[in-house]
Amino acid sequence: MELKFLASDRVEAFVSYIMQKKTVYAPQRAGKHSVALKKVADPGAVVLDYARTMQSVKKFFLPPRDELLQFNLADQSFAPAEVKPLDAVLLGIHSYDRAAIDRLDYNFSQGHAERNYLTRREGVVWVGVSFEPDEFHFSGSVGIRPHDTEGFDVFLTRARDGYLVEVLTNAGRELTAGFDLPATDQAKPQPGHFHQHIFLPQAKLNEVMGASYNNPVWEETAEKCVGCGSCNIVCPTCYCFNVEENVDIKVSGGTRERIWDGCMLREFTEVAGGEVFRGGLAERQRHRVMRKFKYLSDKTGHPWCVGCGRCTAYCTAGISIVSIVNRCISDYEKHAATAV
Amino acid sequence: MKLNELVPQQDPVDLYLPVMSEIRDVRPLTDLETLYTVALPDGRDLGHQPGQFVEVSLFGVGEAPFSISSSPTRKGVFELGIRKVGLLTEKLAELKPGDKVGIRGPFGHGIPVEKFRGKDVLIVAGGIGLVPMRSMINYVLDRRDEFGRLIICYGSRSDKELLFTDEMESWRRDPGVDFHVTVDRGSPEWEGNTGVITTLIPGLELDLGKTVCCVCGPPVMYRFVLLALKSRGLPDKSIYMSLERRMKCGVGKCGHCQINHSYVCQDGPVYHYPDLKSLEEAL
Repeated sequence: MELKFLASDRVEAFVSYIMQKKTVYAPQRAGKHSVALKKVADPGAVVLDYARTMQSVKKFFLPPRDELLQFNLADQSFAPAEVKPLDAVLLGIHSYDRAAIDRLDYNFSQGHAERNYLTRREGVVWVGVSFEPDEFHFSGSVGIRPHDTEGFDVFLTRARDGYLVEVLTNAGRELTAGFDLPATDQAKPQPGHFHQHIFLPQAKLNEVMGASYNNPVWEETAEKCVGCGSCNIVCPTCYCFNVEENVDIKVSGGTRERIWDGCMLREFTEVAGGEVFRGGLAERQRHRVMRKFKYLSDKTGHPWCVGCGRCTAYCTAGISIVSIVNRCISDYEKHAATAV
Repeated sequence: MKLNELVPQQDPVDLYLPVMSEIRDVRPLTDLETLYTVALPDGRDLGHQPGQFVEVSLFGVGEAPFSISSSPTRKGVFELGIRKVGLLTEKLAELKPGDKVGIRGPFGHGIPVEKFRGKDVLIVAGGIGLVPMRSMINYVLDRRDEFGRLIICYGSRSDKELLFTDEMESWRRDPGVDFHVTVDRGSPEWEGNTGVITTLIPGLELDLGKTVCCVCGPPVMYRFVLLALKSRGLPDKSIYMSLERRMKCGVGKCGHCQINHSYVCQDGPVYHYPDLKSLEEAL
């Protein structure tokens, strides 16, 4: 792959250039301490060196509030919500967030293929950027490295004084054509080291997690957990939702919308009459972690956790998913050792 | 295999749009339960299996899953037996013939009737669990020669809460139906069995090699019914169970009905008992 060079002082010009071709969404400052993915109005506001955004690109394809239909109460008629392709450049995306979209593509395509999500997914040009692992990232443990270009049309790797640019697809060539990116003989630098690790690969985790159903770690985690659901809401591969009716102030009509929901919330499994099928926080933590490391990986061979570290970074109680999984691994190995 | 190669390529469809359907009849079953007769537009048939469910919605109120109470052998319209327990069901109770409801479905795997064909059919229904089981009961009655004996065990909290009492009378009189009913607490007028549903099982006349059973009832009932069936010697492979969960979307997306790795709206609500053993959260 031929490497080109984008000097740091030309990033703004590059963003301006691609903005002429398509709408661009990219990480930008949000408040004092956060970076969020937003539509770019000022090319100078784009931040390419960042640890993580609180919300992933998921929000563009599965919005937190997503209209399904509009209804008219007078004649009981309805019209389906208008859903349009995103048709934009997603710039400055980390490899784990791109990998999360492969997972959501699977969820919204298998069984019944869903129009709402799959329509929005159309027309996206992906421009990735490498990241420097911080104290929460562990994507290396699930096979996603900071420099992975999989699924991107263009990829920027942080280097001295700028970015090494790989143009990977025709869509990437169309996007960058006409902008001067000189060739460089700089080699791609080694990706940064992770500070967090899960001690076993997914191929072994299926068995370990299967044997960890009654591990005390679930009860111990539940003692700390407050059941706020933050881990679900920031997870780039959580896609569960609830459906709500919103009636307008004139009570003439309204909308049926789906909103993000989370399996850590008590009401999640509640049925009419009050029965709750996962009433305990331990059961709910177990369900959350098993969904990431067992249930879907048994079927596909891939973990549904992409190692972004968000659930841990934003946990209000300091719960670490890496610690939970490693605890299951070490208990499993201890048990195996005593069994011999 | 790479994950993106596992993504099935098929045309996306609108999954959440209801078909506006007409309430044809509203018949109270008890103080709390009502039987609604519903017609899809243009005389379209619902095309369901016994044990399947539909999503019923009222604009501005909400949408929820309900099992279908009528047999697919009775075409043209379908029936839903619904208990008033929340906002949506309170509003449904106000509907009159001619009113509209939104319908999506049918969804899920119902009772695999081919596994019951040629066999004695044992139905164990607790409380409102009779609603979906009535679909199977009437299916068997309408195709009488395709099945062996029909044995029905029905338990209710009290005689005032018994559902489909008129049909129950015809089951009682039918020589081809072995019908048993019990109530937890009977009123002074109640002359039948008193006790929980499991008290009916020891006395049943069962041809163990020929009997296939389907169980549906409140969550607390399943373990006790399983124990009672096991002590009668009915093999696990002859037992099917219908489970209740919060099937919000009906199409395997929203996550609410998940039991371990299984989506009840896709793999269930009717499960073969041997398959349920790998789902620790099922019962």
